[in-house]
Parts: sequence; structure tokens; C-alpha cells
Amino acid sequence: MKNVKNANYVQIDHEIQISGEKDVIILSSPEAYKRFRWSREYFKKKPEEGYFIWVKNSINHPLITCISISSKNISQNPINLVIIEKDVKAEIYSICNAVKKNLCGNHVGYSKVIAKENSRLEMRHFHRWGKEDTVNSNLEFFLKKGAELSHNYKCLEVPMKLKMENNTYLEESSSVNFVITVWAKDGEVEMHDSIFLNGRESNGISRVRMIGDKKSRINAYSKIIANDAGTGHLDCMGLLISESSSINAIPELVNRNKDASLTHEASVGKISEEILNYLRSRGLTEDQAIDLIVSGFLGEEEPIAVEGSIVSSKLYM
Amino acid sequence: MLKIDNMSVKVNGKNILKKINLEINNGEIHALLGPNASGKSSLVYTTMGFPDYNVTGGKIIFNGKDITDLQIEERVKLGMASVFQHPPSIKGLKLSKLLEKISKKNIELKELNNLLEREINVGFSGGERKFSEIVQVISLDPSFVIFDELDAGLDVENLERLTSLIKSELDNKSILLITHRGRILKFLKPDIVHVMIDGKIVCSSKDWKRIWKTIEVYGYEKCKECELRSNRS
Repeated sequence: MKNVKNANYVQIDHEIQISGEKDVIILSSPEAYKRFRWSREYFKKKPEEGYFIWVKNSINHPLITCISISSKNISQNPINLVIIEKDVKAEIYSICNAVKKNLCGNHVGYSKVIAKENSRLEMRHFHRWGKEDTVNSNLEFFLKKGAELSHNYKCLEVPMKLKMENNTYLEESSSVNFVITVWAKDGEVEMHDSIFLNGRESNGISRVRMIGDKKSRINAYSKIIANDAGTGHLDCMGLLISESSSINAIPELVNRNKDASLTHEASVGKISEEILNYLRSRGLTEDQAIDLIVSGFLGEEEPIAVEGSIVSSKLYM
Repeated sequence: MLKIDNMSVKVNGKNILKKINLEINNGEIHALLGPNASGKSSLVYTTMGFPDYNVTGGKIIFNGKDITDLQIEERVKLGMASVFQHPPSIKGLKLSKLLEKISKKNIELKELNNLLEREINVGFSGGERKFSEIVQVISLDPSFVIFDELDAGLDVENLERLTSLIKSELDNKSILLITHRGRILKFLKPDIVHVMIDGKIVCSSKDWKRIWKTIEVYGYEKCKECELRSNRS
């Protein structure tokens, strides 16, 4: 709890704590399902746990959710629903983790995000799991006309098995920018990430960054489907830093509209000797050079603002 | 400072450098001229300790210490550094991050601000690439620097700008300039110039102007029989 005391929704095992916000309705999903009949069409099924966030007006600081496993053999099944109203700007930081490494937890999460017309959502999603956990994460994003979504998912400590599926549906002139970063060590990761360009001038970009460390396997399926005249780009990069790791990157472009434009680039490999030697010629040892390359590959650490102060996202992971 | 003593080098089983002798004293600027593929860059990589360059004979002495078998980073710790002709692009790694890790010396240069938050060499122009290399090397505060083809791909203005930077930031350091065009000589005025052909140093002289004039007029082949050969007095 130490690092999540300022979160708006905290779930530890199955116990929840909610901290309200002006211009935002934050409830547990079962409560929202009961209170708002209209919300039922969005929930996949009647939720037993999870959060409901309805952002009615723009907010100038991030909303924070945290779902943690802290006891042995816990099985969580949160069903989350986020609604961003028309013309509203919002930022959400979502943390899912296990607080210890050996809890044998099971987390099956399903989240749906509706970004209404001309809304803007920046979502950062952090996962951190123990070696004996299994995790199944399913996210669906529905972007109405002119909506913009930036979604940054980062998992630097994977569970024994992580299965992730993201589907994003874009209407006219909406856009999504996905960045998925996974560092797999002693675990299996399977990621399915699909962007559907369903409206003209929609734009989807998906960037997947994977690090294959000791005894790990990553299968990454990235797909863009153009059903209308939009543009899309896939960028999958994998770095193998251990002999006992493997990465399969499978980008797929499906174009059903002659005016759509889809591109992709993909690369999977080890760190090049040329780069290692170059960094060593700057005085770094091989290990220091690898650390620097990996940290560059993983991208900048995002700061999180809580109560006016900036703290490192690492505190949340 | 640096003494290369009768050194021969093989790369992938092929003899690249043959019995090289070179001695650079404190504060001296030496230039090594030579046509393409004469072995100049191999001398850079061997001196810096790159793994594919196998010293099969002779040794490299730096400040009295035999460094022939030292790792690259150990040589750098002793005060050696190099500006490479073709430094690699490193996606994801910003120049600022690298400088943060390696800098022994603070560098405040206005032009640097444009590069700091960019990934190293990704989309850099020729001038930016060389500038970034020089800044990295300056930040290491070395006592000996090799410049591999610094003048390649640079216009005169950029070359003048970068050589001024070298003069101001690396004053009194020992320098080995590798070049086959020779344009850089008039900016940095070497104390001694050497010519390398087919992996051998065939000529050494203090009269860089005369050597360069000879090369400009007759080409590198003339150096093999030139009367200045091995004349360092």
C-alpha cells in the first residue's frame, strides 16, 4: 500500500479502496453494473470485481488504479470499464502486480475503454509479476470519431505465463499510438495486438519492444486490419540477451481498402558486436554496455505525478 | 606515450599490418596517410584493442606499459580514445545517456544541445556524427586520441569548426590523425607524417607539406621510393 496510497482505485487481493475525484465517477464494477443500467451493454458479463471509471470532464492529473496480489493462491478476475466523455482529456495509470515473487497468483483481467468523440486518453499500464503467477490480460479500446489514444504498456518482470490480447477499434479520424514493452526472464509471453482501422483517416501505430532474457519465450502477434481508408504502421523489435531465450515476432497487415496504407518493420537479434565494442571504446565494460543498450531499448522511465510531486514509475512496479 | 614496436596483425587469418613501428611522444600530433585499404583503420582498431585484430608479432606500449593484450575498455581507462570513421547507429540510446555514463569532464557547447536527446547516430548528418564522436572523446578526458578519417564527408566549414574544437579542447594531447585526403593536415599541422601502403609504413617525415605535395602530384606509389622515406630529422 505504501506506494499506492494516492491511487483512485486500489484492490489488494479482493479488498478494494476507492478515492473519488471531481468530474470523475469511480466505482467498483459490480456497483456500476448495479447503478447504471446503460453500462451493462459494455460489460462483457456481470462483474464480480474490477473498476469503473467515467471521466465526465477533463482532468489535469492522472487517475491511478492499482490491482495487486498479496496473498498466496489468489485468483483475481477484474472486469474494468473506462469511459471518456466527448472532448475530454484524461490520463490513467494502471498498475497490476504481485507484491511478492512466490504467491502463485492468477490474474485474469478484462478491460474495456470507450473514448468518445474527440476525447484524448493517455494510458500507462504497468505490470510486475512473480515467477509463479499466471496472467491473462485482455484489453479492448473503442475510439469514436476524432478520439486519440496513447497506450504505453510495460512489463519488466513477467509471470510464469503471460497472455495478453489487445484489440483496438478506430472510427473516422481517430488515432492510436501503442507501445508495448516486455522484458521476459524465466517466463512465457504470448501477445496478440490488433488494430482495426474502421473509419477513414484513422491512424494506428503499434510499437512492440521485447527483450528475451534467460529461459524465456516470447510470441508476439501484431496485426493491423484496414477496413477503411486509414494508415497504420507496425514496428516490432526484439533483443535476445540470453542463449536460452527465443522471440517470435509475427507482424501481419490486412488491407481491405485500396486507399489505406499499411507498413511494418521488424527485427529480432542479439546486440551487435559492433555496438558493444563501440561502447567499450568509450570505457564501458561489456556488462555496462549491455545494460545501457537494454535501458535505451526499453525507453525512458515515465515519471508519475502524485499530489503535485513527480515520482518514478518504478515505485509503482 | 605510445610506442608500436614491430607489430604485425592478422584479421580473419589474413596479414593486414606488417612490422609496424610508430612512436608518438607526449603532445605530438602525427598523421598517417595512405590510400584506401592500406591498413590505416586496422591500425586504429588494433591500437584500441578490438577483438578481431590479432597481434601476431611485436607489441604496443602505452606510457611504458605493454597493452598488447589489454581489453578495449582497459586501454580507455589508461587514457586512450578514438574518433571512428563509421561509428554505429544505436537505436534507443540517447547521446545524453551515454555521456552521463562515460563523462569525466563537463562539456558545455551550444551545438551539443541539438544532439543530446537524439539516439546516437540515428539520422545524424555527417557533420553531426563527427561532432558527436569528438564530444564523446573529449568527455573521456584522454591523453591520446586517434582520429580516423575525420575529414571524410565534411565540408571545409565543418572541418574548420571541428578542428578548432579539437585544438581548444584537446590541446597538448597526443594525437594520431588517420587520413587519405590530407585536407585536415593544414588545420592541425602534424609534427610528423607517415605514409602507409599495403600494411607497411613506407615513409615518415617532419615535412608534412612536402609529403602531401608529393602525394597530390604523384600519388601514393611515389612514397615507396621517395628520398624523404624514413627521414624524421
